[in-house]
Amino acid sequence: MRANARPIAKAAHPARELKLKKLRIRWVPILFLLPSIVAYSMFKYYPVLNMMYISLFDYRIADPPGPFVWFRNYTEFLMSRSFWNAIKNTFVFFLLYTLLTFWVPIVQALFLSAIRRGRGFLKFMYQIPTILPAVAGVLVWKWMYNPDRGLLNYWLSKVGLGPYGWLNDLAITKLAIVLPAFFAGSGISVLLYYAAIRSIPAELHEAAKIDGAGPWHRLFSIVLPNIGFLIAIQFVGFMSSILLAFDNIYVMTQGGPADSTMVVSLLVMKSAFQQNRFGVTGAMSFFMLVIIAILTVIQQKLSQERE
Amino acid sequence: MRNKGAGTKTALSLLAAALTLSLAACGSGNGNNEANPSSEPSASGEASASSSAPAGESPSASNSAKPVEITVWDKPHADDPRKADMEALFAEFDAKYPNIKVTHVEQTSGGEREQFLTAVAGGEQPDAILTAYSSMELYIQQGITADITDLWNGYADKDKFLPGSLASGTKDGRIYGFPNAMYTTGLFYNKKLFKEAGLDPNVPPATWDEFIDAAKKLTDSSKGINGFDILGMDWADWHFEYYVWAAGGDLTKKNDDGTVELTFTSDAAVKALQFYKDLKWTHGVTQKNVVQSLDDNLKDFYTGHAAMIVGASDNLGSFITKGMDIADIGFAPFPAGPSGGAPAQVGGTYWIFSPKASKEKLEAAFAYVSYTSSKEKLEQSLQYQKDNGAIVNLLTVRSDIDIGQYIDNLPADIATNVAKASADPHLEYFLKDRLSPYVVKAIQKVLLDKNQDPLKALEEAQAAAQTEVADKYNAEVKG
Repeated sequence: MRANARPIAKAAHPARELKLKKLRIRWVPILFLLPSIVAYSMFKYYPVLNMMYISLFDYRIADPPGPFVWFRNYTEFLMSRSFWNAIKNTFVFFLLYTLLTFWVPIVQALFLSAIRRGRGFLKFMYQIPTILPAVAGVLVWKWMYNPDRGLLNYWLSKVGLGPYGWLNDLAITKLAIVLPAFFAGSGISVLLYYAAIRSIPAELHEAAKIDGAGPWHRLFSIVLPNIGFLIAIQFVGFMSSILLAFDNIYVMTQGGPADSTMVVSLLVMKSAFQQNRFGVTGAMSFFMLVIIAILTVIQQKLSQERE
Repeated sequence: MRNKGAGTKTALSLLAAALTLSLAACGSGNGNNEANPSSEPSASGEASASSSAPAGESPSASNSAKPVEITVWDKPHADDPRKADMEALFAEFDAKYPNIKVTHVEQTSGGEREQFLTAVAGGEQPDAILTAYSSMELYIQQGITADITDLWNGYADKDKFLPGSLASGTKDGRIYGFPNAMYTTGLFYNKKLFKEAGLDPNVPPATWDEFIDAAKKLTDSSKGINGFDILGMDWADWHFEYYVWAAGGDLTKKNDDGTVELTFTSDAAVKALQFYKDLKWTHGVTQKNVVQSLDDNLKDFYTGHAAMIVGASDNLGSFITKGMDIADIGFAPFPAGPSGGAPAQVGGTYWIFSPKASKEKLEAAFAYVSYTSSKEKLEQSLQYQKDNGAIVNLLTVRSDIDIGQYIDNLPADIATNVAKASADPHLEYFLKDRLSPYVVKAIQKVLLDKNQDPLKALEEAQAAAQTEVADKYNAEVKG
């Protein structure tokens, strides 16, 4: 009876038995993880918590933290025209970047997987633009856009296209900012997509060919669905980096002209350093954090449903 | 086994908690304390030993044997033409005040404001730093500048400074800045281009209409020359305000009770913005890239691509350094607008001090600033610049310095015109620091959109600025 009891005891609590076994501390992995945990806590989590704290005050940098104002900072920016204009610009940029740049590495990877020769050379060529510091590239484009002496208008005039105002034309400043990204390298995205495409079993393609599916049909029913997981992951990173985009817009136009390229991240910086309204900018940043978190969750849910 | 597991789990969570707490303590600690543990706020300073001070220098600091360390953000850039002169000055101060150790820090070009405010937020505000007139209002209100009224009143040379030089640094009778430099603004024009266009180089345009005529004659797109480079980027309102003044008004009005009244939609402002619109769209005398930086405008001028630009009297020296012939440079007071007048803007810099510094540090910093601003040292610096062929800033904050002896290489008309321009000086419009983005947006809309109505642009700007800035400011002032 006793001998039988133990196996039953084991079967009744197999999880706990496993848990006990796993709780042998292995210090080496923890030691390796510790620097990044510390760095993340100090440079990512702590600033976020600090920002939430600051957003509840009318923060005075000379005399922190200043008067406590509950959620007045939040109501203030939610009622301000400048903020909603910045939100509108941020999402317009998001749309433009998605339409013009998100699919580029996918197409490049498809080309790579379709050609027979020169694959290594092309991979190399795709990576070269990423060596250039982004800011340097933006500055070159800024000069190309110059309506008085820039190269772009000069080249376009050779093919008969009229002089454009570019950064001096309120209707196309946003496009002018997104255009360089269309030509720039997308980093390792190409290689990731390429690896994913290559990992699709060849039998699927053979089977499809036998069934009479043409290349476009194969693209949409076999290739894209199979790299769907990668597209989803890339999109999350893409989304948060575009919604928080700062560097290239700052260098190109500083948010002008006439606030046409003023995105939330730039508004945060200007309000903080120009107007010294640190409490309100903390509140705005927190708001963006919540928005991006919600979008990410929605996106994850959608991609999970698909699977 | 179970106990060991539980113990390790607890240990790990305690470690995590300790880490978080220590980081939080670290953070708030940095915000409130600073390096000197025995610090006390300087408040309305008590300059105790002021009566027995030697001439031109701050009390007590030179007599005190206790070593004091201060940080001053005035280290010259590597390519600063005055570098050798400034370093010699630093060494002289060190020799004279061996007990005061000064650490000089260089500011990042283009990011000075962010760098400074970040230091303030991190509790590391420098003991002395230069700041522009227009930033003083905001800094004083936020408590970033130390009150140096008592130190100033005990300063032997205080009456040797031009009374107007203290205007922007004073609030409610208390003094928050030590005057450093002043400039006046006016119209720079290229005499050589004037001659080539058939205009008299000694007769700059005196009214808005003459200005338009001259600009049209000077504009030559085949040679890439613009009659006038307009400032349309982030600082557009800095130059735009002059046109509003010339049209007889201003962008804001400071009421007697300290509150602000926005006058963006006043007749004068609308006339000025219409003038801007005409320059760009009707007469076509400006550069196409109206949003280029001020530096690009200056570059267009000294490379001969812009015949006229608005500039400050202290730009003169840099044009010479960049290769312009002084005989080709003309400086004129602004052309008179519809009001018949053309006030110039006077601007400049103040030294401001840290409100968190201890009494000893504040006095030491004041001693440093008063030493470098003494008549003897300023004249030494002017002589250095003259000897090295540089054009000195024609305005000085001290009334006991004769600038005339340092400018004998300067054409007479420039000196006269700078004096004329500074005859009716105005400070920048009230609350400019906070209202700038709104005004600039209206200006840019008009400069970039041919069909934009100036009045509508100003109305929208005023409506936004009223709710987002003015109402809040007035509430703060009243309550």
